[in-house]
Amino acid sequence: MTDWIKENGKAVFAGGKGSFEDAARVASQCSCFSEDCEDELVCDDAISCYNCRYRRWTATSFECMKR
Amino acid sequence: MKLFVCIDDTDNYDSIGTGELLENMMGEAAIKGLAKAGFTVRYQLFIHDDIPYTSHNSSMCCAAETNDRETFTEFCQKYLEENSAEGSDPGLCILTDDSSLDYSALIEFGKRAQCKVLTKEEAYKAAKEFGNGLHLSEHGGTGGGIIGALAGAALRAGKEEGRIKGKIQPLPNKPDWTTSEFASVFGVQRFIDEDGNEITDNLSIRFVHPTKLLYSKGLITGVIINENGQLMPKPKIKKNKEKKQ
Ligand code: SF4
Repeated sequence: MTDWIKENGKAVFAGGKGSFEDAARVASQCSCFSEDCEDELVCDDAISCYNCRYRRWTATSFECMKR
Repeated sequence: MKLFVCIDDTDNYDSIGTGELLENMMGEAAIKGLAKAGFTVRYQLFIHDDIPYTSHNSSMCCAAETNDRETFTEFCQKYLEENSAEGSDPGLCILTDDSSLDYSALIEFGKRAQCKVLTKEEAYKAAKEFGNGLHLSEHGGTGGGIIGALAGAALRAGKEEGRIKGKIQPLPNKPDWTTSEFASVFGVQRFIDEDGNEITDNLSIRFVHPTKLLYSKGLITGVIINENGQLMPKPKIKKNKEKKQ
């Protein structure tokens, strides 16, 4: 399964907002991961796209600003 | 004089967040003797492609007290101009905190900003209609941050529910508490359960995970959950069980 869907040139996470394991796996393989500020962390995986400052939430998922 | 101070769109992907900038600004204002700040509340605004937020579109608002509103306002404006991140669109709102004022139209604006795309023109119109006691200013870029800044201040004035910035850490060697002890040590004014029901009994709770407090009904509120029969302050993050946006 691909982790990303291209929408208008943007890389949108295919797992939506509830795929915690996939978000952790993707971030663990990403050299750009950088933890967002404490108030914006949403899961307790130390490294996860959901906690990354380069994810931009959309209505149903997030887009990665580094892809 | 009591105020609500709210800033928005001051960051970029590599800078400190808006909440941290607000705390830094208020810290410097305190050192200069210009104002004393209370706690900061985070309000989630609308997530939509047409809104140019960085990663989460939230707005941060703190309460403050000053004896010199004019100098304090000038200080905030200069601070934002000098410290906002490159490429950001900072906005500042300073609103009088006075229970005799009618905030209803402003609150309506704040609530709309949580579910609709609003324009700067709408923000200026709402500010103008409120009249004296409200400062709204742009400090670079498109200045679009005035929308979130006004919304955050309005929601705070309306005692709307938001999360209080920061977290409370468990104390080493003290896992067992009562809610009344917890309230007096951490300044909690009210407890609710996960469904929002008020808790009035003095409960025995186990406090071993960091927790966050809510601003709800105008009070600092702790949420108590029942985890397998054990009552505890809701852990800051409950993995895989909830998501924020
Ligand atoms: S959001 Fe993007 S930059 Fe951040 S960890 Fe995931 S893939 Fe990497």
